[in-house]
Amino acid sequence: MKHLTDEELMIGVSNEKLDMLTVLFDRYHVRIFNFFNKMIHNRSVSEDLTQDVFYKVMKYRTSYKKGNFAAWIYTVARNIFSSYYQKQKKESTGELNEYTLKADESLVTNSNQEELNHLQRAIHKLSQDDRELIIMNRYQEIKYHEIAEIIGSTEGAVKVRTHRAIKKLKEIYFQSI
Amino acid sequence: MECDNVQNRIVDYIENNMSENETTAMKTHLETCNKCQIELKEMQEFLAKVSDDELEQPSKNLRMNFEKMIAEEKELQRTKVVKLKPKTNWKSYLQIAATILLVVSSFLIGRYQNSELHQTEVAKLENESLISKQNTILALMNNQSASKRIQGVEYVEEFTDLDPEIIEALVKRMLNDENTNVRLTAVNALQNFISSEKVKDGFIKALDTEKDPAIQMTLIQALVKIQAKKALKPMQHLLEKEETQPFVKKEIEIALTNII
Repeated sequence: MKHLTDEELMIGVSNEKLDMLTVLFDRYHVRIFNFFNKMIHNRSVSEDLTQDVFYKVMKYRTSYKKGNFAAWIYTVARNIFSSYYQKQKKESTGELNEYTLKADESLVTNSNQEELNHLQRAIHKLSQDDRELIIMNRYQEIKYHEIAEIIGSTEGAVKVRTHRAIKKLKEIYFQSI
Repeated sequence: MECDNVQNRIVDYIENNMSENETTAMKTHLETCNKCQIELKEMQEFLAKVSDDELEQPSKNLRMNFEKMIAEEKELQRTKVVKLKPKTNWKSYLQIAATILLVVSSFLIGRYQNSELHQTEVAKLENESLISKQNTILALMNNQSASKRIQGVEYVEEFTDLDPEIIEALVKRMLNDENTNVRLTAVNALQNFISSEKVKDGFIKALDTEKDPAIQMTLIQALVKIQAKKALKPMQHLLEKEETQPFVKKEIEIALTNII
């Protein structure tokens, strides 16, 4: 099973071969977890949301139609994040930033770690769209054309927007160091 | 190249995502522009920092929960398969239809046969009871007791259509019975069947033999009603008889004028 592509595996899953989903879990769960964790910086919530992604993939396996698997699973992840974010916004407006800062303070160990925490804080100062582009392109190493597929845009537009977001982030990072 | 343009493409330049011409143009600009040189240095440093940021590992719970979820779904899958096994195809529908048809048709056949049998049985019973009734009437009419004979004659009133055998027996009672009441009852019973030639003849004959004035009156009235011309002679004869009661004679006189 290991030599099969993501798409071949997912077709298998949609044909009720549930063991194939375990291989896809091995390939994607760390990335999906980090996507959430970079977006909200909360490990336990990120784990729950990651779990939710694979639950949805499993439940809606028959609706998978041979497209790019990475694009498909990130679309699912983005929808889950979006509904989580809307729910949080309703309950408390400032909560997302609050626990982000608390988590940062407790993690200070050495200078390199401190720099990474600084980077994390800088990422959180970006707009949600810019943050998402940087996470997908820089951390998840998703190709521009795949991001375009996930967010429903063109490759060129995604590239320009991502580079601007990187520039913005770099400026925030160096400003507050 | 302008500074803005250079700064927009700086990531591509670092990551070698440019054509040769573009790279040359970038290099030319960077050599002369201090501002863009700083930008390039910062960006290289920054991107290195970003790539230092390694992926974090989620806790073991995530995998455990995932495996639990898959196991549960597999269980669900198994029960689903069992559920789907008895496929509903046209054959089973046909079987059900045939069964229903069989039940309904056997019910109808049974009911039809039953009712047919029932009808013949009822007819047979009715016939049997009719015969036995007639036999009873005949037996009663020949009984020694006058009251029994009256009872027998009275039974006849229940019939609309009489057996010739019974009519004959009744006429015999009317003409020959020693008891007046039996004869009177017989006359009353026979009045309903006076259209029969046998009864008419019996009535005319009775005019000759009958001595009881009440019966004579009934006979006269009945014969007038059917305009029996044959009765004219015996009536004339009765009129001339000395022992005939005066009110009977009067009735005969009226009758003679009425029969045209």
